[in-house]
Amino acid sequence: MDDRDLNAVASMIYRQLKRWISSRSRIVSVIVQPLLWIILLGLGFGAIFSAQNIDTSTWPSFVKINPELLKNIVSKYFTTLFGGVDYITYLITGMASMTAFMGSFISGISVIWDKQFGFLKETLVAPASRRSIIFGRMLGDAIINTIHSTAIILLSLLVSGSINIWGIPAALAYIFIMSLGFTGLGIALSLRFSSMEGFQMIVNLLTMPLMFMSGVFYPLKTMPDWMKTIALFNPLTYAVHGSRYWLTGTDTGLSFMNPLLDLAILSIFTTIFTIIAMILFDRASLED
Amino acid sequence: MKLMDEIVVVENLVKNFKDIVAVDNISFTIGRREIFGLLGPNGAGKTTTIHIIATLLKPTSGRVFVSGYNVVEESKRVREKIGIVFQDPSLDNQLTAYDNMYIHGKLYGLKGRELHDKIMELLDFVELKQFASKKVRYFSGGMRRRLEIARSLLHEPELLILDEPTIGLDPQTRARIWNYIRELRREYDMTILLTTHYMDEAEELASRIAIMDHGKIIAMGTPDELKAMLRGDAIYLVLRGDIDSFCRELSFARECRKIAENRIEVLVDNAPKVLPELFNIALSNNVVIQEVSYRRPTLNEVFLHLTGRELRETIEETPVIRRAYMRRHWR
Repeated sequence: MDDRDLNAVASMIYRQLKRWISSRSRIVSVIVQPLLWIILLGLGFGAIFSAQNIDTSTWPSFVKINPELLKNIVSKYFTTLFGGVDYITYLITGMASMTAFMGSFISGISVIWDKQFGFLKETLVAPASRRSIIFGRMLGDAIINTIHSTAIILLSLLVSGSINIWGIPAALAYIFIMSLGFTGLGIALSLRFSSMEGFQMIVNLLTMPLMFMSGVFYPLKTMPDWMKTIALFNPLTYAVHGSRYWLTGTDTGLSFMNPLLDLAILSIFTTIFTIIAMILFDRASLED
Repeated sequence: MKLMDEIVVVENLVKNFKDIVAVDNISFTIGRREIFGLLGPNGAGKTTTIHIIATLLKPTSGRVFVSGYNVVEESKRVREKIGIVFQDPSLDNQLTAYDNMYIHGKLYGLKGRELHDKIMELLDFVELKQFASKKVRYFSGGMRRRLEIARSLLHEPELLILDEPTIGLDPQTRARIWNYIRELRREYDMTILLTTHYMDEAEELASRIAIMDHGKIIAMGTPDELKAMLRGDAIYLVLRGDIDSFCRELSFARECRKIAENRIEVLVDNAPKVLPELFNIALSNNVVIQEVSYRRPTLNEVFLHLTGRELRETIEETPVIRRAYMRRHWR
């Protein structure tokens, strides 16, 4: 990488950030969507996963259990399940990763837009190396996604009392690396698909299961085995686990998982997809 | 490295897309400070040719050099030397005019104060300075084209490539862009390669023209040289009857030949003078004249002479419809 390539990386980061700032609707939609998840799922299921709502008055009289004891046991059960925090804290800390995850695929869409609107040609004909151009683009998008996640984390401070402020930078680092990797995946896919419809279909097919089999909404431990197996191959799982660890100090993963391993797996995943995106963009020509 | 007087050298260039031959063995050179025009109808292979020169497509066979660098093996060097304005817009509509310029400059290794000054100078050149901080989304077609021209000049290219620079623009904007092109040649000694399907544009701007049709160069020369192929006037007749014997009767004609079914071209020195006589000969030979026209030769007549088709007719083929369809789809 020479001076000009660095210049090119900087220029693409600049472009992605400028576009982001100028499209307010995108900022709103990216923040509002997780917010809806948090409110609808968090408050809805949060109430179910809480012992306070157990109504003992309707129980038949032969059931002789101390209601307070029961509530204690149930409450203990749920907090253990969610790693020692209430459901809304559990959900919102996973949502921080999910926001960046969903945003990562928007990069792929923007590559397809650039193909349709011709800006891609402008970058293809530039003397800066293609690798630096696409890497700059990925970095720019990963930065934006991390900013979105930061907004969710700041929001979580209002909703939950068990967030560790000092863990925020570390959690964001996990999220950033994860987002860079999925941005690479999104761009790699977008270079293969020239139609928006085809790309959207693949992305929808991909994001939905990855989202649910990652531990964002419910813990890995209670998943059926087949689901656990898939979750193990899902990079998002490690971002959720690692960032939740730094934000709340809880360990909600499987027994072998730990924050360092999370970091290692995420780094490998991201390196691989960065290289794939670079190679595909290097080969891109007007013919496909 | 090849000869330095010639900024572009194209040797036996062939480009196939699957089984379609887009460019069929063409060769030409462009000298420094020339405005070289590739003239031809849509689908003639002009855009494919310049995409190869601009390193965006690889040739199937043949060699192309820009400033002595091979476009395949030394594509990075070639990219430094050229500025290109594509036929379809390639601006980022979400960004301001200034940012579009700024990002381009950065991609070409420019920086800081120098870059800023250059941007302002060029925006001034294309009379867009007051719109520098306006988003391109709000620009008219002509403004976008002007901005693209300014952007392509930012890194001081040795060769400026313009692909149909005035397509879809109103007459005033066309004239304005023509002025910029002339000025670039005059003030900046720029070498320009332009493609167009407007014969007036080629005639107006180009110092040398290659006429392309179906992937081949069918004629090349200065506008005057090309028009000299048809000295005097050209009379076009659509008629019914024995064409060959009719042609033989026209003693005043320098040339008389069939260019399409029922259609002949008669080259004469002075059409208005000989037309009455021509009608008489037709009458006495039992030839029915259905249509007649005569023209002072322009490049259109040269194209007609060479292909039997009018350049104008070929413009109305499918590509226009396709473009309209795409626009509807993607805007």
